[in-house]
Amino acid sequence: MNMTLFKASLKSHWKFVLGVTLFILMFVVIAISMYDPESAERMKQMFEMMPDGFMKAFGFDELGSELTSYLSNYLHGYIMLISPLIGSIVLANSLIAKHVDTGNMAYLLSTPNSRIKIVVTQMMFLLTSMTFMFAINIGVALIMSEASYTGLLDISAFLQLNLVAFLVAIVVSGISFLASCIFNDTKRSLTVGVGIPVLLFVAKMISEISDKLENLKYASIYTVIDIQKILEGDPTYVVVSSIILVGVSVLLFAASIIIFNRKNLVI
Amino acid sequence: MIEVSNLTQTYRSGKGVFDLNFTIKEGEVFGYLGPNGAGKTTTIRNLLGFTNADKGTCTIKGIDCRKDAAKLQNMIGFLPGEMAFLPSMTGMQFLKFMSDMRKTKNKKRRDELIELFELDPSPKIKKMSKGMKQKLGIITAFMHDPEIYILDEPTSGLDPLMQNVFMDLIEQEHANGKTIMMSSHIFEEVQKSCDRACIIREGKIVATEEIKSLEVMKQKAYVVTFESQDGMKKFLQSKLQTETIASNKARIFIDGDYTAMFKELAKYNIKGFESQQQSIEDVFMKYYGKDGEGA
Repeated sequence: MNMTLFKASLKSHWKFVLGVTLFILMFVVIAISMYDPESAERMKQMFEMMPDGFMKAFGFDELGSELTSYLSNYLHGYIMLISPLIGSIVLANSLIAKHVDTGNMAYLLSTPNSRIKIVVTQMMFLLTSMTFMFAINIGVALIMSEASYTGLLDISAFLQLNLVAFLVAIVVSGISFLASCIFNDTKRSLTVGVGIPVLLFVAKMISEISDKLENLKYASIYTVIDIQKILEGDPTYVVVSSIILVGVSVLLFAASIIIFNRKNLVI
Repeated sequence: MIEVSNLTQTYRSGKGVFDLNFTIKEGEVFGYLGPNGAGKTTTIRNLLGFTNADKGTCTIKGIDCRKDAAKLQNMIGFLPGEMAFLPSMTGMQFLKFMSDMRKTKNKKRRDELIELFELDPSPKIKKMSKGMKQKLGIITAFMHDPEIYILDEPTSGLDPLMQNVFMDLIEQEHANGKTIMMSSHIFEEVQKSCDRACIIREGKIVATEEIKSLEVMKQKAYVVTFESQDGMKKFLQSKLQTETIASNKARIFIDGDYTAMFKELAKYNIKGFESQQQSIEDVFMKYYGKDGEGA
């Protein structure tokens, strides 16, 4: 880990990371301030009038009248999945592949820092940014809920759900980071690093809309965020899926480091 | 100091370098000459450990350039051929960033160089002209006072005045005992500053020579204009080595016997007389043949 590089990455990306965080935060604040048990019931009725598939695709189909379920469905059906996805694909690409593509990497490597040190630093920046996006939003969600509706939120279930959502986001960022480490140009890095995460997300959406294509859910990592199952309280499910997600992340990032350390850099 | 042995790296396009061998001695200024696309940058990429060679090795002070790349970097001042910096930084921020990355503290050398090249480091790099970026690159390569310089086309983008400033800097560093490798496609640049040069073409080294020994081989040439064509005809029958340019214009090549030339010329009415510098390039090319097949 090299603090100078970390700071430089922070300097060129903080606005973006903050932007994504605030974008999510906007929905967190709206969701909580819009909540009141009666209107939630009314909103549910309104959603029921919408075409079935449309609401399902955006994860609004299960908006419950109970705060935890309402908030989880509101946030974790769509916003808390797509925003970190966008954040991570942009960051992953610009942290490695862009430096190689432009030739900046030549300068980074002409300093007495090994390739491993450079790539680990950039990885740490990516992970820190992702953690920041989640931590701020979960923190604000907890504080706001407690302040407005003390005791109504099932904090443990909400945190478990967020843990799984966070780990899924990390795996997805790992896919983009790996692509960024494999390819020497941003064009191919983005094709793969954006393509795969978006396909995974689209697969989840389609599996929810269409009964025929329901089996697509096995093809998408996003369906691991099974809101119903986690909120019903299934600790084994949370523990097992977390372990698997952590394992996959470790594999993805380790592969990124090894590949970047070994490959030919055309800089 | 720098040793390249059997270095081979082929790209998918068929370009690359093939079985390169050369050594650069400590304290030497080594010119690495070749046209664009000859493999100069590929060689340099290998010396800095950016790529894995298909075959062969590069070492600097006995340290493997690829495996132990990080160990070598503080000894090397590297100027990439393509200017690419972190574009959102200002020039000064970039210099500070590089010093921090190298963990070098001495700012004196940096400030001296900024002054020497008359660079204003305050604008953002993306707003800088090509020449400013080149200066910034040179300062980055020199400011940590390394013992080896690897410079990829260092004078490109510099105006003639700054090229001279740069050449003086190279001379100074040479006097300080630094080892310098500079690639170029301009012959005169190498001729002025280097002890030894090699020419690379299509990925193969076609010639390695001491610049001094080339200087010796250099012939002097003079162009003489005669008043009459008859005088010229008579002159051509003399023992001097000549070449006809026009009906009353001839080129004379001499290897040092000026007296013979002037004695002969004194016999005719001469309208014009100018000396012609033969560049080392001509010698080099003559010596090795234009296609690098050897003469």
